[in-house]
Amino acid sequence: MGEVSSTAPTGSFEGRSYLELTGESTSPARLARSVWASRGLLAILARKEFQVRYRRASFGLLWAVGLPLVQALVMALVFSKVAHIHGAPHYVVFVLSGLVGWTFFSTAISSGSTAVVDNSELSSRIYFPRALLALVSVASNLYGFVVTLVIVIVLCPILNVGLGASIWLVIPASLLMVGLATTFSLVASALQVYFRDIRYIVSAAVIVWFYVTPIIYPSSAVPGKLRLAVQLNPVTEVVALFHAATVGGSITGLPLVSSLVWLAVLAVLAVYLQCRYDRVFADLL
Amino acid sequence: MLKPGTAIAMSKVGKRYTKYDDTPMLLTSALHFRPRTRRGRLWALRGVDLEVYEGESFGVIGRNGSGKSTALGLMAGITAPTEGSVAVRGRVAPLIQVGVGFHKELTGRENIYVNGTILGLSRREIDRKLDDIIAFAEIDDFLDTPVKFYSSGMYVRLGFAVAIHVEPDILLIDEVLAVGDYAFQMKCHERMGLVRQSGTTVVVVSHNLGVIRKMCERVLLLDKGSPKFLGAPADAIAKFHETMEQSEEPDVDMTTGKPLERGVLAIQSLEVIGPDGQGTGHLEAGSDARITVVARVLKPMDDLVVGIAIFSQNGTCVYTDSSLGKPLGPVLAGELFRCTVALKATLPTGSYTVVSSIWRPDMKARLAESRHVTFFVNGRSTVGGVSDLGGSFSLDPCSEPSGPADPEAL
Ligand SMILES: Nc1ncnc2c1ncn2[C@@H]1O[C@H](COP(=O)(O)OP(=O)(O)OP(=O)(O)O)[C@@H](O)[C@H]1O
Ligand SMILES: [Mg+2]
Repeated sequence: MGEVSSTAPTGSFEGRSYLELTGESTSPARLARSVWASRGLLAILARKEFQVRYRRASFGLLWAVGLPLVQALVMALVFSKVAHIHGAPHYVVFVLSGLVGWTFFSTAISSGSTAVVDNSELSSRIYFPRALLALVSVASNLYGFVVTLVIVIVLCPILNVGLGASIWLVIPASLLMVGLATTFSLVASALQVYFRDIRYIVSAAVIVWFYVTPIIYPSSAVPGKLRLAVQLNPVTEVVALFHAATVGGSITGLPLVSSLVWLAVLAVLAVYLQCRYDRVFADLL
Repeated sequence: MLKPGTAIAMSKVGKRYTKYDDTPMLLTSALHFRPRTRRGRLWALRGVDLEVYEGESFGVIGRNGSGKSTALGLMAGITAPTEGSVAVRGRVAPLIQVGVGFHKELTGRENIYVNGTILGLSRREIDRKLDDIIAFAEIDDFLDTPVKFYSSGMYVRLGFAVAIHVEPDILLIDEVLAVGDYAFQMKCHERMGLVRQSGTTVVVVSHNLGVIRKMCERVLLLDKGSPKFLGAPADAIAKFHETMEQSEEPDVDMTTGKPLERGVLAIQSLEVIGPDGQGTGHLEAGSDARITVVARVLKPMDDLVVGIAIFSQNGTCVYTDSSLGKPLGPVLAGELFRCTVALKATLPTGSYTVVSSIWRPDMKARLAESRHVTFFVNGRSTVGGVSDLGGSFSLDPCSEPSGPADPEAL
């Protein structure tokens, strides 16, 4: 009974906010209500986090957008001109569009997994739903992602890639990717409180993950034995959607199913962990 | 569910912490490189039943590690109880462990917004209060500097300013006021008076028993996580001193430069006796008190000197004296003797520590030192400073001074 968040309008009792704690875990409905009630805080923190990250850099947003673009161009050049990989038509745009999604995903999960621990200064002294911290991390990366995506779309005609109706595929691609990054961050940020090596495990995983995802090579180039592994990778379909939106390509069945199953599993885990530990994270911070 | 008129209710509350001796790691525990992370469990708080009424000022006292901060954390919802239930009605502003939750990288101004938002204010409300907060905190020059560059005093100023100005229903203060400089402390105490008058419920944790005594209507005494006493401040403070005396180890060697000669004398007890002849931890201002020292003689001596020293809460020595020049006479081995010091408790409100030491008559070597005994003086309400000189004030009409008038006035 009662309501958790001091900011939750639904939790008022005789016009006052009301809090009752009877155990360590919180019910999913209750947590969802207090996250929703704290959306104003989410907006402020996400904006501030973005500003903080690029505050001392003179060109702010330019770094958020410029770095992935430069990285993509260098990779496209190295792999096509130096290593002579020619698997896909319009290779530069192919790499660019794949990398836009991947860069967002990898930076979001890297910062998201340490969100709760890194903000201990704030969260050990005041209560707000801790899930917010992982959400803030993902949201603050979203800004740079959207701008980069727009730039890539603008670059397409310049690089001789005609865009058709398939460009709208970036919307489901982005949604799927944000969903995966969010649920992954919620799970990892909770685990990081209890196992402090999660951040290193995630960093290592990101490096390997990059190469088992068809970003710089087309999935058709994967040899038969490895194909299943690549297809079970939840990010494969996301990147395939980004590729399909720009240079075209097919959207195959198994990777899509695998992405959705992963999303569902991560979501259930995220809800369980956040509900169970939301009120006791501070004990270990 | 809370009864009407109750702001905070705890029933059968227990909080158990898990203490990890080393940082738990997933890889090590998964791969069994080592036996699982060593950990212990401890009840930081257990069996707490209490109600804090709306508009009340409630104090929590106890020794280090007795669970005071844990209790406040539960009231603030920062942590959840392992057993029992905590219910809180109203908007809570916590000031826990030196400062409110600040984001290190953000500037003071940005943190005001973040904190205000967490406490449930809208942007417009914060805009409106911003100037007051800045004026109160007096950190104008650092307002747009990230708070990680703040001194701890500045941190506390801003934290206190925010917590006060969000107009919470319940204000939780954990030992934060002690960090600010004297001027700011005075300002805070003055402000706290206003806050309490406005009907805000206040819960204070402090080791400064003078503050607790002055501010609180009821006080909870915690000892190793369990409630020992709940009631009037004076009684709680007296109980506190009793529990402290039982647990304090005798202090054997204090460095004064002079050697401590062991095996000659052993101080058995040091006691503060009230006007009624009973041992006490609580004295009224100006009352007749006695301090008695009982010691056992291990080697016979021709004479000795007994000294006492009284320190105030902040370590200032307010009084030292000794029997020097007043021979006490020879003592025999195995004999017990008592030295009584009669004095008047002319002191302002506060906690004091008394300690006694016994010397050779030439003061060249110290023979024994007693343990520290703490007592509380309920001073006259108007008196401040380190000593109560017993001033009495009068206001009388008087005629023009006789004799030649001030030449300047002509
Ligand atoms: N997060 C934590 N994890 C493990 N143990 C903890 C944690 N916080 C407190 N404890 C333990 O719980 C006990 C009570 O701690 P608490 O901080 O409530 O004491 P306190 O009364 O505030 O002490 P102090 O006067 O020093 O501030 C201590 O033994 C402490 O070691
Ligand atoms: Mg404490």
